[in-house]
Amino acid sequence: MSAPVSTSPDHAHGHEEESKFQIYVNVAMLLAVITGVEIVGIYLPFAKWVIVTGLVILSVVKFLYVIFYFMHLRWDKPFCTILFFIGLVLSAGTVWALIAIFSVKDSLPLPT
Amino acid sequence: MSSHAAAGTIDHHHDPSTSTGIPNKKLIMWTFLASDCMFFGALISTHLIYRLHPAPGSPSPKQIFSLELTSFSTFILLMSSLMMALAVTAIQKGNVKSMRWSLLTTIFFGAIFLGCQVYEFEEFVKLKNVTLTNSMFGTTFYTLTGTHGIHVAVGVFWLILMYVRSFQPHEAGRTFGWFFKNCLHITALVGAVLLSMFAVLGVVHTLHAGGTAGAYFASYLWMIAGFVGCVAVCIGFAQPKALSNFGEANAIDVESMGLYWHFVDIVWIVIFTAVYLIEYL
Repeated sequence: MSAPVSTSPDHAHGHEEESKFQIYVNVAMLLAVITGVEIVGIYLPFAKWVIVTGLVILSVVKFLYVIFYFMHLRWDKPFCTILFFIGLVLSAGTVWALIAIFSVKDSLPLPT
Repeated sequence: MSSHAAAGTIDHHHDPSTSTGIPNKKLIMWTFLASDCMFFGALISTHLIYRLHPAPGSPSPKQIFSLELTSFSTFILLMSSLMMALAVTAIQKGNVKSMRWSLLTTIFFGAIFLGCQVYEFEEFVKLKNVTLTNSMFGTTFYTLTGTHGIHVAVGVFWLILMYVRSFQPHEAGRTFGWFFKNCLHITALVGAVLLSMFAVLGVVHTLHAGGTAGAYFASYLWMIAGFVGCVAVCIGFAQPKALSNFGEANAIDVESMGLYWHFVDIVWIVIFTAVYLIEYL
């Protein structure tokens, strides 16, 4: 299967491809730094809910950077983003529903 | 399947031959990944619900996990994603040689990640007494991280197939033996990956046992010899006699594979926080 050949090659597109290398390296460095911040963050003397919120936010940031830059959603048609987010929303709903129904404390076995 | 278009003339973000304007291979991959999100969502939530059920008498998850090892494998997986993105960019510019090197690096990082996971599982089972069946924590932990590991292993195998595929000659230069040659190339590359993983695990075990370099070489000589042999075969096959028919037109194949690889990375981003870091609070 061959990809379609454009009839009007765009020079701006070529420049965009050229700068992608720089973008990818910058994103990778940012992701590494965020991972380092997460690891340091768990040892900080803050309330548990503050650290958990921080970890969730940092994970979401990493997640979004990967899907929009490495997975090209930023440059692809919005339909790909919509399609993936349908799965993501359903997945988040599944997680939320399961945790709401079976909370961690409820799952503990009854004392005998 | 040919790639006779000049480099840079293909629009990789728009396909006028489909009603959506999105290449079919990319669309099917995004659909699959959306469904896989729900699969991992169910596994992650199951582990979060049952994570307070360790085996009787076993230490807490914080004492079981090794944050250093997990952080290292997280970093390795992030870097493999970078190399995968560079491989896609290279083939979109028609640079097959650069794509091959990027794919090989991605395979290498993927193998390191798998090696870390094998080592972690071995430690948990043998030293920490966390097995698949002796606690709910073990069951959900191994199911979740094992499923992710299988995804990584499938990804590494796919990368190997794509790397070998990039050497396929043009129709005119194709002989009867090219299929068997490719099979041998794949086998050698898979062998090199597996033997390198076990050779590194051998180093770790020797160091743990207080052994010396001599003891290591004596115990794992066949493994090192096998690895060197597999690498030699791979180098031999990486010298194409005929012109390859792999080029910019195949960018969509590499991109679809890249989407899968990046997805494995984002799942690990969630697992790293939800399974590992959360236990240290």
